[in-house]
Amino acid sequence: MNIILGVGIILVFGLLSGKLAEKVKTPAITAYLLLGIVFGPFMLGFISEDMLKVSGTISNIALSLIAFSIGQNFSGKIFRQVGKQVMWISILEAVGAWLITLIGLLFFKVPAYMALIFGAIAAASAPAAIIMVVREYKARGQFVDILMGVVALDDAWGLIIFSLSLAVAKAMYLDLSSSLGSMLMGAVIEIAGSFLVGGVLGIILSRIGLFLKNQTDLLIWTIGVIFVATGIALHFHFSVLLTSMFLAAVVVNLNNESFKFFDILNHIDWPIYLIFFVLAGASLEIDLLSKIGVIGIVYMIFRIVGKFLGTYLGAHIAKSDDDVKKYLSLGLLPQAGVALGMALIAKEQFPQAGNIIFTTVAATTVIYEIIGPFFVKLALHKTNQIHN
Amino acid sequence: MQVKDIMQSNVRSVKKGTTLSQLLISFKDFHSFPIVPVVDQEMVLLGTVHICSFFEIFQPHQDLLMRNPLSMISREPTDIFNVDIEEGMGFLIIMADIMDTKIVKIEQSADIRKAFDLMQLHQKTAIPVVDDQKKLVGIISIFDIVMKIFHEKGLI
Repeated sequence: MNIILGVGIILVFGLLSGKLAEKVKTPAITAYLLLGIVFGPFMLGFISEDMLKVSGTISNIALSLIAFSIGQNFSGKIFRQVGKQVMWISILEAVGAWLITLIGLLFFKVPAYMALIFGAIAAASAPAAIIMVVREYKARGQFVDILMGVVALDDAWGLIIFSLSLAVAKAMYLDLSSSLGSMLMGAVIEIAGSFLVGGVLGIILSRIGLFLKNQTDLLIWTIGVIFVATGIALHFHFSVLLTSMFLAAVVVNLNNESFKFFDILNHIDWPIYLIFFVLAGASLEIDLLSKIGVIGIVYMIFRIVGKFLGTYLGAHIAKSDDDVKKYLSLGLLPQAGVALGMALIAKEQFPQAGNIIFTTVAATTVIYEIIGPFFVKLALHKTNQIHN
Repeated sequence: MQVKDIMQSNVRSVKKGTTLSQLLISFKDFHSFPIVPVVDQEMVLLGTVHICSFFEIFQPHQDLLMRNPLSMISREPTDIFNVDIEEGMGFLIIMADIMDTKIVKIEQSADIRKAFDLMQLHQKTAIPVVDDQKKLVGIISIFDIVMKIFHEKGLI
């Protein structure tokens, strides 16, 4: 099957599976992932090896668009809007999940670079599954407002933690013989390079964007600059995620009408995400599932502990209610798109360990997507946010 | 020609604390809902309420969540026929909850071509006009510009 036919089939069936998912109250991303597994080489085989080869390129495009969108959170206006509680909780629950998962996996003798990556992926949560529960139960109240703020922001912190961890993990993995200093230097160059590329292109995107007079030009210009930024980052082995996020962060702070660069992408991004998640499902190596036992269980449990402790500490610092301290972390357990994206990057960067990481995250994603909504409901019940 | 020469100066604005009920009553006789500027005590523009702002009532937190593309369950339009809105919400929801803070505005001294370009770019039919202290002084719509052109061409 040629690639164009393959992509066409993915889009058509992706649309159908998304509709089906809606009927059974599941986020579309889970449906895309399952469709990928069914179409992939381990089951029906519709998605050929040729297509899986281009999945790296599609992943980079999708992840740069995701990181660009999430990067718009980094503005003073947004930080003021969400308030102190959301800021503290979102930062500390993301860092908490990272740190506790990292420590937990190190305790179980998982190599440090792998533990770092798992820890970073643990920080991400899945807004779609959480929103679905909140909407289904028409939950309202202050707890829901804080939960929504935290959910909206924590992927932004997660992407930063992941990019930093990945840079350190790569340096550790590639230079096992070298000193800590040179390892850190490699990571610093990667991060600084990403900031430089994102920063310079952010200024250019913003300034030239002032002269554009119609939506078509704006769309072409925005995608063009994001691709240039992503391409340069890939060429110099900088972080695609950090580059795109910083590009967005610069634009959002420089330009009063920066929302136009983000809103315009809504017209084209969804089909790209659909293909990205179906191909992610297809690249899942099902035969590895049996080998993830201990790592998977440790990852799942320590992530929950980390989210709880981080939330508790953040809520304590921000002087939140006891309900927020005790129950907010229950609402942050679902995990899906961003975590899978991170795992795919890890798969690309670490040929052997990457497969274990990706398969583990894909499997735990499915489990979290099943049990996560139950805990969200529990949190909403416990805090009296469901009024009917 | 400058924006202030053709803009509508008699603009009905609301405050952040105006309730949803007050807004609806105030505009119930309009044949379509206009763009309503939200201002503070000094008339500084804080945001706008437009017809899409009402979707925030049906799907709260939409604006916050739109910044994470994966937060979308799907890109289906809101099913406004199938939501339960309690009676008291008319008094509980205020403009600060639903206003659009993505402000597209133009200075009164700007050329009307710039206003037209801005409306085209953002796909708006009208935008608030401010003075150099960001205070609301009027609204300009594509209709105002078209009327001006028609007037110059002798159609009216």
